[in-house]
Amino acid sequence: MSTENLHLEGAPFLPQQIRGLYEPDGSQATWDAAELSTKQNRSVTDAIPHWQEWRRAAEAVKEYAVANLDKLLVEFERNITARGAEVLWAETAEEANRMVIDIARRHNVRRVVKGKSMVTEEMELNRSFEAAGIRSIETDLGEYLVQLAKQRPTHIVTPALHLSAADVGRLFEEKLGEPFSEEHEHLTQIAREHLREEFLSAEMGMSGCNFAIADTGTLAIVENEGNVGLSTSTPPIHVATIGIEKVLPSIDYLPLFLQLLARVGTGQKLTSYTHLIHGNTPGKKLYVILLDNGRTKVLRDPAARKSLTCIRCGMCLNVCPVYRRAGGWAYGWVYPGPIGSIITPHLIGLDKAAVLPFASSLCGACSEVCPVRIDIPHQLVHLRKRAVDEPSPMNSVIDRITWKLWAWAMSGPRRYKLAMAAVRLGVRMAKYLPWHPGKLGAWTRGRELPEVPGPAFRSRMGRNNDQSK
Amino acid sequence: MRNESSVTMSSRDAILQRIRTELSDVTAAEPPPVSEVWPATGATSDAMIERFISELEAVQGEIVRCRSMDDARQKLADLMKESEWQSLGAAERPICHELTADLPAEQVAWAKEGWDPNEMARLSAGLVAAEWLLADTGSSVVVNETAEERLLCYLPPASVVVARVEQLREHMPAAWSEVARATAEADRRGEFVLITGPSRTADIEKILILGVHGPKRLVVLLID
Repeated sequence: MSTENLHLEGAPFLPQQIRGLYEPDGSQATWDAAELSTKQNRSVTDAIPHWQEWRRAAEAVKEYAVANLDKLLVEFERNITARGAEVLWAETAEEANRMVIDIARRHNVRRVVKGKSMVTEEMELNRSFEAAGIRSIETDLGEYLVQLAKQRPTHIVTPALHLSAADVGRLFEEKLGEPFSEEHEHLTQIAREHLREEFLSAEMGMSGCNFAIADTGTLAIVENEGNVGLSTSTPPIHVATIGIEKVLPSIDYLPLFLQLLARVGTGQKLTSYTHLIHGNTPGKKLYVILLDNGRTKVLRDPAARKSLTCIRCGMCLNVCPVYRRAGGWAYGWVYPGPIGSIITPHLIGLDKAAVLPFASSLCGACSEVCPVRIDIPHQLVHLRKRAVDEPSPMNSVIDRITWKLWAWAMSGPRRYKLAMAAVRLGVRMAKYLPWHPGKLGAWTRGRELPEVPGPAFRSRMGRNNDQSK
Repeated sequence: MRNESSVTMSSRDAILQRIRTELSDVTAAEPPPVSEVWPATGATSDAMIERFISELEAVQGEIVRCRSMDDARQKLADLMKESEWQSLGAAERPICHELTADLPAEQVAWAKEGWDPNEMARLSAGLVAAEWLLADTGSSVVVNETAEERLLCYLPPASVVVARVEQLREHMPAAWSEVARATAEADRRGEFVLITGPSRTADIEKILILGVHGPKRLVVLLID
């Protein structure tokens, strides 16, 4: 697994993003957009009287799917192979990248058009393409924007949530040589024209998959822009990258999931285009790459299995106060927000990502909106326990010493008195030290020093007792 | 880590074996029942038409109601004139042939194998037939059997979908036994696409813009 772009050090979040935690205008664009998404999506779900029944039904189907993953994957492979697709299995991101490049080389591919796929972000596929000298263009507008800006996406559904129209105007001016504009229609038209050229000349198209249907061997993909429709039908080759947990047992469940996903994902009754791709289209070639990349590791921990039921709707991000404030990059890897906090530690290792489950107030807003009822706060607490029991940055020598000292200080009245005297002295001294030391600065910059506490209750009680004698 | 030079197990087998091992504590259970997403209310044809129209318009689609095939031919000709469409790409379906029978031959380009996408991109509009219409979302379910038929839905700047009133279904669950049966056919290839309005995005500041990559206009010709 490539960890070049990981920034999960001991202190929570990327140092550059910590600003957003205490500077009110640090990430206003993210906050506003996430708030708007929440309002829109909630109004569409609140309009459904039996919304909670839908959630329960979806939860049951997804739990069944995870519990029968091997059988369903084999069934899916059999049925989509019978429809002319070639199915490949990749244990790791590196293996998947090799497979994609291999396919591209075999077919003399020089240009690739990509539909949105979070799995390919895990793989960092675009870097592999770059290294292989193959031009790869993201066609989802939000992904295209962050690709041009050489940034990572900040949200799994609206990747360019953090960019204002003016930012986009400047980006197009700089990277595409287009005259500056802040007008949404015009900016979109620019993107349409540039990407048209790419669609019409690419030799390979890629997509993810929202639901891989086992009993019919079908790829169900939802989108609004039409870029998936184009990416998968203009070029001669279609490569679909799918996380193994995306498999659904039967096409019979699709109406539930399609309507669920559209509502919580984008506040719509249905997306503009919902594709049911029946294997290979005559005259073209379809490759399906099933990716593990640590998902089987999640299965080892029964309490964590529910995190594999996620349908990647992004709703937990929208409602999360921490995500809104700190932004998507603060989570250091592909998946931000509550879902990121519960799956990143599994996929890249607790030893690297243990800090994420701690970056939450456990308010529970996420689990209230999750369409498949993942118990995210419980998952977070479970991971916190694992983080202090297993080797992780939350279990460092400093942590252990600190807690031992604290336990010592709390375990007797005289020790407690001594500790509190030290605290009072410390607060008095701190007034003369106006600097914000290193990592502690993240904590001190956003806070005022407390007033020096007056006499302790104990000593006042002692004085009263003396007086009353 | 497996030794690359003596691979005894493929990735497929390794993944499957790992899954089976990790899930060995799970007791077998029946698949959950298919839930009733929306109840079937036995809506009348008129009710479905009304609902379809309001939902379609709510997603910025356009409706053209036609009393008969003759009326539809006239309305299509009017639409092409108003919109200044010079060329219409069309999917090979009987209803499309009927609909375009009166148009000058040079105005209609029929989807054929090996059709150059660059040529298709220059069409004014693409005409496809819906197999089913879903009233509660204003959706058209289009069956694309070939790559060219797929492209006809996405490349031209405008999309025209033709269907008859009897193809209306109350909602997705009401249509689903037919859709599922068609999907399960062994020789089924290509795609079904549920089209709900024109192409759109809200990726910039969550402001809705139509016609990002796919068609900016979606017109449904609904024939009684």
